[in-house]
Formats: sequence, structure tokens, C-alpha cells
Amino acid sequence: MTSLSRITILTKPEVQTSVQVYCLQCRDAACERVCPVDAISRDRNGAYVINYDRCIGCRECAYACPFGAISFEVEARPIKCDLCDGEPECVAVCPHDAIVYMEEKKAARELKKAKAAGVAYGLYGGKETPEYSRKKAEEAVEYLMELVEKSGELDV
Amino acid sequence: MSTPSRPNTGSVLIIDLTREKVVKRKVLSETVKRYLGGRGFNSKALFDMIPGRIDPLSPENVLALGNGTFAGTALPMTSRLHISTLSPLSGILGDGNAGGEFSAMLKFAGYEQVIVTGRAEKPKYVFIEDDEVEIRDAEELWGLTTGETVDWLRDEHGDEVSVAGIGPAGENLVRFATTMVDKYHSGARGSGAVWGSKNLKAIAVIGTKGVEPADPERFYGLAKEDIDYFNRNEFVRRIYSVIGTHYGLIQWYPSWRYFQVPLSAEELPIGLRPQDLAEYEVGRTQCFSCPLACKDVYYLPSTGEYGTASEFESIYALGSNNCVTDTEAVLRMEHMADEYGMDVMTLGDTIALARLLHEKGILSRGDVKGVSLEWGDAEEQIELIEMTAYRKGFWDKLAEGYRNFAKLYGEDALAYCYDVKGVNRGWYEVDFINGVFTLSHATSTRGADHLRGRSWAYWENDKLIDIEVVRGMLEAGLPDYRKDPVGALIYGERACTLADSLGRCKGSINSWLQAVPLVWKYPVFKGTAMLLTAFTGIEFTEKDVIDATDRIYLTEMAFNVRQGIKKKHYDVKFPPEFAATERAKAQLKRHWELVDEYLERRGCDVETAYPRRETLEGLDIGYVADQIGGKEFPEWDGPVRGVA
Repeated sequence: MTSLSRITILTKPEVQTSVQVYCLQCRDAACERVCPVDAISRDRNGAYVINYDRCIGCRECAYACPFGAISFEVEARPIKCDLCDGEPECVAVCPHDAIVYMEEKKAARELKKAKAAGVAYGLYGGKETPEYSRKKAEEAVEYLMELVEKSGELDV
Repeated sequence: MSTPSRPNTGSVLIIDLTREKVVKRKVLSETVKRYLGGRGFNSKALFDMIPGRIDPLSPENVLALGNGTFAGTALPMTSRLHISTLSPLSGILGDGNAGGEFSAMLKFAGYEQVIVTGRAEKPKYVFIEDDEVEIRDAEELWGLTTGETVDWLRDEHGDEVSVAGIGPAGENLVRFATTMVDKYHSGARGSGAVWGSKNLKAIAVIGTKGVEPADPERFYGLAKEDIDYFNRNEFVRRIYSVIGTHYGLIQWYPSWRYFQVPLSAEELPIGLRPQDLAEYEVGRTQCFSCPLACKDVYYLPSTGEYGTASEFESIYALGSNNCVTDTEAVLRMEHMADEYGMDVMTLGDTIALARLLHEKGILSRGDVKGVSLEWGDAEEQIELIEMTAYRKGFWDKLAEGYRNFAKLYGEDALAYCYDVKGVNRGWYEVDFINGVFTLSHATSTRGADHLRGRSWAYWENDKLIDIEVVRGMLEAGLPDYRKDPVGALIYGERACTLADSLGRCKGSINSWLQAVPLVWKYPVFKGTAMLLTAFTGIEFTEKDVIDATDRIYLTEMAFNVRQGIKKKHYDVKFPPEFAATERAKAQLKRHWELVDEYLERRGCDVETAYPRRETLEGLDIGYVADQIGGKEFPEWDGPVRGVA
């Protein structure tokens, strides 16, 4: 069965960049609080999940979410990210490791490290500084030269 | 599996601009099996609809946009839009493909191909939203750059809209104007002028229907394997997704000063190295369904503009080819070419040719009217690009494009014109890659071209990326270019035809590995046959796939035969100084031997280079033989002007 995406990509065509909208699994979640039938609760991974047996399709959760992370698509049912029961599929398929799944404290440390490495988060949703881009390109060229040298010795 | 009478593919949309009429036609299973999609559908449509020699800028010319069999699916890198027409640059088949999201959107709207004929009286654009197709007034759009056009259409129809169209160069009938998709993706040199001649500014499309494979579980299973392969690949992760085609600057010897000196990695001038270009990068972007992200997004501080996709070709053609080494100037020129909608390669080569002719004294000072034409003058070159797009003054002549431009100055000028069938691609010695490279330029059905068969007959890139796969392909029977250059080229041409027809990207990492889906696991065309069967619900064998590519290629050859292509047009050019040497003569002799062998193995007549009747009948396209058999066609000499 195919499943609808729990991540919405909003594109900013003028700078050819995109913003991803998905559930942040808030500490104190508005969706959980407003649900009149208590259909939203936290599972063992800390994800807010919807119990469709209880859900009456009133859309209150979608109106309450400040990030627009809940959408209504099929048969008037709300859908949102449920962390795929601890094994998020988006993490598995992302080709550039742009999405990672890790413990909260570790994530905070990693973000700190990325900032220290020269990634400045600004107008373009992760704009890299010229020095950082140059360094990355230099590393790529270095690796390429290594491969070229190695492939010269290889006979097919 | 029984063959359905109608596959799970959409319809063909035929737009007659003269009568403002729109017709939809269902695609039959038989057509999918025989021509696959994309370039296959386009080449067949052109052969059937353009019976003889016509002026490419006349209303009779046909513009075909085909989106490829797998467009809009999760199979990676399959959203290329193939654009085909009778080229105003060369006067033979002119086709090319562009990335972006247009082809996926077109598929989502329920179409496999759009064919445009006729000429509108006033500027028009076409708006497609699923089943609704409207021809609308575009007078407000006429004159806008490609970026402005896309913004205008997004304001009108919403941000999801995907746009293929032209900039001012196409409107002004610059003969190497291109079709631009979603601002930055350029395809098919010359096709832009055809849009202009038809008074068609753009096609905007929104599709909401989605694509459903015949056997989703099987198809998506195979597609995921292919995605995973590229995601795991070290070359892709550490080089390709970081610097994109800029890796070619290190690996492919960009030309310096119109190919007098190819540059090695060590000789690459400061300013044009991947790390210099990276300083202007503010992000990366990709086409629909691509895990590679080869395109950079760059920022130009001097003008405050953003551009996308500075590629190897643009950097060498506009930069090193003309001795321009100022990083920002090269990026700016590339961005201008995108905004005006011009092919960077023909643009860069034509400017370089003008510089050379000026240096040799063939262009007099009177001819060029106050322009210095000094090698490496970046500021002047920026001015030239603008004047060419608007065909101002002397630069009206430059806008005629490469060979047509040289032709204006007679035989002396043509001697420095390194084209095949009117299309530029620089000059190379035949010895380079055992003759495959020059042979592939000569046999390409759209004129000199590196993407018609060359790269995939040549293992240098494949070796960097995955040596084990190369060994596997050789074991599976792929000819080795060192022992059998002609066989390797024919396989390369099949791979490219296949990629263009499926909508698969073939230019990105320049390797067999990504041009043919699943080739890394099921060499050579077996994986493609499996995917086609799962997707269309029609049973495909490896032989069906090979036959389809040959059918497409020979139909294209026959199309060119009717435009006057003879065997002599399979030649390659050397500069006059080199052509006089014994070395060059020996190389040319070898080239013609290879051409003879190629024609023989392709099933063509070795004397005339026409496809033979029995070959065509063997591929079940006897009707093509009826069209060219026993007929005389006037010899080709560039595009026809006025009535034939």
C-alpha cells in the first residue's frame, strides 16, 4: 500500500530552496491538548500518534498546530509524522543524510558542532559561508585526485 | 502476462497554433513497446510529420516535447524532458533534454508528449491543468527573460506550476536559443528559435493525477535498489553531490583558447577551479526524483542575482575557451545565457570562433565595428552576450550560430569551423580514446555531440565510480573500446537513446552506471527490461529494448537523409595547420575506415550512408524505407531558408 507523505516541502522558487514542514513532537503539544476525544497520545518513542478508532475527524488538531504539521488528506482523517515506530523511513531514504534520527541531547551537541564548523544558519535555510563551501570543494577535489591516481593503475 | 491494448500511460497532446486547436490522442501499447517514450516518441513524430526539407523557422516545423516512460516515478533521475525539432542551427534533427520538474508535472497531468505545430498570429502561451488545456494571450510576457516569465506564470497560476519556454533570444530567433525549463534547465540548442517562430512563449503545466505502475510492488522495489546504489556510492557522496559537473574541470581537459591547448588539472587557471567556483555557492538543488543534486545555486554579489547550475560545459565554453578566468564574470555570463535562453556551448564556441577569425585577419576591423575581440576580455564578452540575444548590430551575424556565422565569411572561415553537420564540438585527434570520440561526433544524429554515445563507450569515468561494475558489464558482453571501438560506440548510442527515451539523466556523472537503470546489477539492458515490464504491464525482453533503441536511431538517420545528409557529412574537422600534416592524414584514413565499419554494422549502405531496406524491415519499420528508398535528396548545406 502506498502511504501519503508526512513531510511537506515548501519551495522558495526565487532562491531555489525549500523548507520542510513536519511534526516537531513538541514537549507540550497543542494537538494533544485540543483533541476533544483524547485520540492523540505519546507512544514509547516520544512520538505523538493518532488513534484512528477514536478520531472523529473534527480537524481541531490541525487548526491548533502552530507549524502546520498535521494535514487532512484521505477520508477526512488527520495525518502526521509518527516517527514510523522508531525507524523513520525518511531518514532511511535521504540520500544526503540531511535527516538524522538521534537522541535529543546528542542532537543539540551535533548542532553546536555544525555551527562551529562554519555552517551559518541564515536567510537561505542553511546558507554556507564561502570558506565552508571552498573547504568542502577542496576535500572533494582531493578525493577525486586520489581516485584518478588509483584508477590509472587499475586494468579492467 | 497479457498485453493490455492501452498501457498505463497518458495521451499525446497535439496543439495547432494556426487554428488554435487542441487534440488529444491515446497512446497504444504497441507504440510504447516499439518507441518507449521521450526521444523515441519525438523522433517518430518528427519523421512522420516533417516529410521533406523545410525552413526550420516556418510554421510547418514541429516542436515535440516528450517526458519519458518513467517520468514522475521514484526511479531516480528520470525527469528529463526531451525536446525535438528540425533545428534552425543545423538544418537536421535537433533535440536535447532538460531537467527540472516539467516532465513529471506533464506526466501527472496525464500526458506523454506535447506536439506543437503552426504559428499563432500573436504571442501565446499554453496552460495545462490536468484535462484542461488553454491557449492564452502572452503579449504581456513577450520580451521577458526566462526568470521573469516563470515568476509571472507562478503569480498567475500558483507556485506549483512548472514552465517550459523561451527568453528574448528565442523571440529574436537566435539560432542557438534553447528551451528553458523552470528558469535554469536548458535543452535542445536551436529549439528556442522554433518557439519564437511560432509566437509561443511558454507552456505552463500543473498535474495532480499521479502515476501508477502496473505492478507497483515490483517496480518500486527495483527503483529503491537503484536509489540505494547511488546513495551508497562514495564517488557520488563525496564528489558528485559536492561539486557536481565541476569535477570535469579536473577530469575532462577543458579547452583553452578554442582548443589550441587542452588544460590538465595542474594547468587549470586560478578562478576556474572547483574550489574557486564553490565560493559563490549558497546551496545545491536538483531535478525531480534525483538523489545526486549536481546543480549548485550561486549568488553574484556584483548584481545581487541568484543563478543555478553552473556546469562544466558553461565554464569551459564561456570561460577557458575564451581565456576568461574571472570566476564571477563566468558565472554571470552563464546566468545571462539562462535568462536570455541561449545554449552556452554554441554561444561560447561562436564567440571564440569570432575571436580566432579576427586574430587570423579573416574578420576585418571594419567587420567587427569597434569591438576589440581580445582573448579574455570579460567585460566585453558580457556585452557581446547581451547584443547577441537581441541581435544588435554586427552581433546579428553571431546569432546565426557557429557554422552559419563562419559561412558568411567564406571558405577561409569555414576552415576553422570544427563542426559536424552544423553543430560545434571542438576538434580532437582521432587517436583520442581509440577513435571512439571523433567517431561518435560523426555518427551522432543531431550533429557533433558528446552525449550521443561517447561517454558510455569510454571507461575512464566508470572506473572512478565503480570498477567492479565495469568488469561485470564487460563479462556480460559489452564490447571493450580498446579492442572494438565501433561495437563499443554502438552500445553507447543504444544506452543514450534508451536514457533519452526513458527520461533518465545521462549527462550528470557521465557514466554508464547512471545512464541505464540498474545496469550496475543486471548488465546490460536486463534491468531496464525488468523495470519496463513492471511499469507498463507490457512484457519486455532485453532484445525488445535493444530493438527499440535501434528503431529510434535508424528513424533519426532516415530523417536526416531526407534533409540531405550524405556519407561525406560523417567527416571530422581539423585546424588547417594540422590537417596538412601526415599524422592528420593517417588519422583521417583511420576515421573513414571506422565510419565504414560503423555503417556496415548499423545495417546501412556503406556508399550512401542510407539505412538499408532489409535493416528497417527487420526492425518492423518498412515504411521508413519507402520514404527514403530510391530517392534523391539535395545535399545538405546548413538550414534551409524560405520555402524549400
